[in-house]
Amino acid sequence: MPRLLLLDAKWEGEVKLTKKLKDYLKKTKPNSIDLFASVQFSDIDDFLKELKKLKIKVNTTKAKRTNKPLQILGCDCYPDSFKDNLNSEMILYLGDGMFHPKALILAVDKPITIFDPISDQIKVVDRKDIQRELNKKKANLKKYLIANKIGILVTIKPGQQYFLAAKKLKESLEKENKKAYIFIDDTLNPMNYENYPFIDCWVNTACPRIGTDDIININQPMINLRDALDPGRAFVELEK
Amino acid sequence: MKIIMYKLELEKLISTIKNQKAKQVLIQLPDGMKHKADQVADAIEEKTSAKAFIWLGSCYGACDLPLGMDILNIDLVIQWGHNKFNKEIW
Repeated sequence: MPRLLLLDAKWEGEVKLTKKLKDYLKKTKPNSIDLFASVQFSDIDDFLKELKKLKIKVNTTKAKRTNKPLQILGCDCYPDSFKDNLNSEMILYLGDGMFHPKALILAVDKPITIFDPISDQIKVVDRKDIQRELNKKKANLKKYLIANKIGILVTIKPGQQYFLAAKKLKESLEKENKKAYIFIDDTLNPMNYENYPFIDCWVNTACPRIGTDDIININQPMINLRDALDPGRAFVELEK
Repeated sequence: MKIIMYKLELEKLISTIKNQKAKQVLIQLPDGMKHKADQVADAIEEKTSAKAFIWLGSCYGACDLPLGMDILNIDLVIQWGHNKFNKEIW
């Protein structure tokens, strides 16, 4: 096996509490903030000092799959993905793009304020912005419950490989008199699913964002492993 | 206006390759940094005795590492944009 070197690729700039963000916080007046950032924007000592001056309490909880507080990964996208509950008056994400903030929207039904340090832009997003995915997720859960032939997708990528869980799920589905087949691949490519039209519903055991972001682009229903193990919880979480 | 980008950390990369005496290294960059792949490969081949190769495909996270590299005798994989993560147990 080759050795591995992971490099953060930090942003070359400095994350600052800009005038625009300061004015926004003065206007919206949050007393407390749950703060998150992608690893590229996680050197924020000066930013935190400036927030303190505004007398805002900053909470930096640890997401389950990360190794340090503040950072968030795209797969931290469930209500129980965080060490602490996100109870602050504002959830603020520092970074560019929508991939990480979307994990927060999926996890909690609260507005997420995004501050992009590169463009100095502020944007507020919430579940309305991903309503299509959420509607499809709910519909897919219903289809899973009535599916007779279920395809369980397993990737061989070690960081996302859940072969044992897939085998356990197959066993439990067979106890319910359903047919379950395990499909193995490297990268899970939606183009391949349609070659198996006998599958009523797919269960994705790899990255949970496949079962949220990709579902609007495929015809066959698909849900994530976590939701397949407890569909009741999945329905409840969609309302959280 | 200077466009501020993401750090390639070339010095750290070069010293790691030298310290580990790596002979064949694979560069894996996220989409937003893939346009820098030539710069990284050139730096590796100019400043070390290692051969550099570029992963064409995805780089979604530390959970998304290229497989089969041992068959090609790649002895170091370098991935940018992600750090160590905790795999969930099911």
